[in-house]
Amino acid sequence: MKLNPFFKFLNIAILSFIFFSLKIFAIENIDERVKNLTLELRCMTCQNQSIYDSDAEFSNDIKKIVKRKLQEGKSERDIKKFLVERYGEYILFRPLMNYSNIFLWSFPFILLIIGLFFVLIKTKTKKA
Amino acid sequence: MSSLVGFLSLVFAIGINFYLFLSRYIFKFQKQKFNLFIRFSSLLTLLSFFSLIYAYVVSDFSNYNVFQNSHSNKPLIYKISGTWGNHEGSMLLWLCILSIFSFFFSFTKNIEDNFQKLTLIIQAFLHILFGLFIVFTSNPFLVNSILVNEGLGLNPILQDPGLAVHPPILYAGYVGYSIVFSIAIAGLFQNTDDEWIYVAKKWSLISWTFLTGGIALGSYWAYYELGWGGWWFWDPVENISLMPWIAGLALVHSLMMVRGEQAIKKWIVFLSILCFSLSVFGTFLVRSGILTSVHSFAADASRGIFILLIFFIVTGFGFLVFLLKEPEKSNALNLLFINKVSALVINNILMIIATLTILLGTIYPIIIEVLYNKRISVGGPYFNSTVIPIMIPGFLLMSIAPILSWQTNKINNSKKYVLAFIILSVLVILQSYFLDFNTWGFVGLLLGFWIILASIIAIFSSYKIKINIKFFKIINPHVAHIGVGIAIIGITCSSVFQNELDFNLNEGDRFNVNGKTVLFEKIETTNEINFQSLRGKFLFDTGKNQSKEIEAGKNYYPVSKMITSEAGILHQWDKDIYFILGDQKNNEWFVKVLINPFVSFIWLGVIIMMYSGLIAVSRR
Repeated sequence: MKLNPFFKFLNIAILSFIFFSLKIFAIENIDERVKNLTLELRCMTCQNQSIYDSDAEFSNDIKKIVKRKLQEGKSERDIKKFLVERYGEYILFRPLMNYSNIFLWSFPFILLIIGLFFVLIKTKTKKA
Repeated sequence: MSSLVGFLSLVFAIGINFYLFLSRYIFKFQKQKFNLFIRFSSLLTLLSFFSLIYAYVVSDFSNYNVFQNSHSNKPLIYKISGTWGNHEGSMLLWLCILSIFSFFFSFTKNIEDNFQKLTLIIQAFLHILFGLFIVFTSNPFLVNSILVNEGLGLNPILQDPGLAVHPPILYAGYVGYSIVFSIAIAGLFQNTDDEWIYVAKKWSLISWTFLTGGIALGSYWAYYELGWGGWWFWDPVENISLMPWIAGLALVHSLMMVRGEQAIKKWIVFLSILCFSLSVFGTFLVRSGILTSVHSFAADASRGIFILLIFFIVTGFGFLVFLLKEPEKSNALNLLFINKVSALVINNILMIIATLTILLGTIYPIIIEVLYNKRISVGGPYFNSTVIPIMIPGFLLMSIAPILSWQTNKINNSKKYVLAFIILSVLVILQSYFLDFNTWGFVGLLLGFWIILASIIAIFSSYKIKINIKFFKIINPHVAHIGVGIAIIGITCSSVFQNELDFNLNEGDRFNVNGKTVLFEKIETTNEINFQSLRGKFLFDTGKNQSKEIEAGKNYYPVSKMITSEAGILHQWDKDIYFILGDQKNNEWFVKVLINPFVSFIWLGVIIMMYSGLIAVSRR
């Protein structure tokens, strides 16, 4: 079956998308990094609010700690590890990608693969 | 007195439903008489609910529920909305809306008598389940054992016009799926013709429209009342309302598909049961208190277990009937590489995956806490990186789906679309190259504009433009998709391109926001009926010697000793300027200003979606 021009074009779009995505690896400044990191941390004294959004005392302390550690050259992974040791995994809005959470992270993609198979099996290749 | 009337009419209404439920097997009613009973029990439930409202309006503190949740010096609207601002009252509202749906359904014409009866019997069954739940575990008509002349007050965060109407509309959506559920089960039992599918379509569209409105009101409330500058937080309570919404969206689309394909019947029944199950499950999660902590569940286990029981009965019964009485197999799906049916099937699959992912993410912390006694969070970042990528191919398909044909895999006028897509992508690439680039911003803008553009091309190239009602009905699917596109642009811009400015200010200071001068006039404190307010007054220069006043501050509610933040929002068509007044430190006020571009597009998109939901109800 000949590809529809629409899909041909979709390929080009995806390629250019990937090309532009490379730009996200550009270096961000320190405040940007603090923002990105604290957006993924839970304010332990608030109701379902991120540390970045919150002005609670707890959050302001954590923001300072995060900033200081980033300036010291610690990686985000180190900072998260430090915070988890201190406050528990509850502080992370993005659950760790480890063995115990493997089901949580793989579930959507398992479903996606099952769905894809379903469609492929059911699809007729010849024209009606 | 009103409590007694309320309780008796509630019990009586449940009694009538019991009678009807048993009567099906004992003797046959005539249709007229049967409907009369149904309507009478609905009116009784309504009476019960209104007597509770009455108790709230007159601040009858001899009712324990009123004493716990109301206060005599509240504005009237919050006395009324206080009725459903608590667990017991909101469950009665749930039941009341269930009755209203039965009431209106009993007037449906051109469906078979027995089918209608069976549907209403299932509704009666649900009424009994939830009625007993209210009577035994959440009775709002209990008598206060002590004499008091003042109540404890309503949670101040709920004292807001948006949240006063949010629960009834949201519940109308949730509970509306009960009718769809009943229709689907009745359709399985009787398996006559396909007439039930059209009836189900109408009711599922109504429910979906209500649910959309309810969710939008809720998030609009979160936007201006919580004062965090966002409008969606992937909070468990929000996720719970989103699940039946997405499943309901899949249902509506599948019901559209029936016109072209018969094989999808089984899937429709499955989705109908799923939607209502998710609604009941959501009620369970919210009402049992299990969301905040597994331990709060233990404090009030009877309620939680009762709703869990109802959930298992409803879901178990639904899926059991589904398995035992599945619709007879008709011809296989006509799935070509890309025609209308396959596009809808793929979209349905994606929607269900999204629903299940949200479900897992929402209950995962509970599972982990029960299994390992460890608390973890699954928040926004998880959902953003799983649900959104899953939905993107769906959005892409959506943009072309209405113009695909039912039978072949030919796209009409495909050259026009390709050309439009090329021009659009160049524009978006240029935009993101010269302004700040952000992956999600790029994807979102491209998708949103593409959906709108493709829909407009489809309207202009496929139909003759006429201005009459029939034309608007024909182009309705495209209009709905334009609404989605507009909402996607709003969502993308307001979340990705949000700008934050922080200031430390004295009264009388001038500062710069987006190139405009803002004057921090003064701080003002006033005493209102039931709260004290602290307001920072700002004058925002809108140019041409005109300025707009913005007030941002906090309210203190002495009755419940709570402080709420009140954001000041300047709405413009292309952006919201969002003022948050922080604390005072060293004689300086901390002021946070957020610039949220194109937030209004989200609400506009939602309104368009609701509009086309309503139009679709009237279209067969």
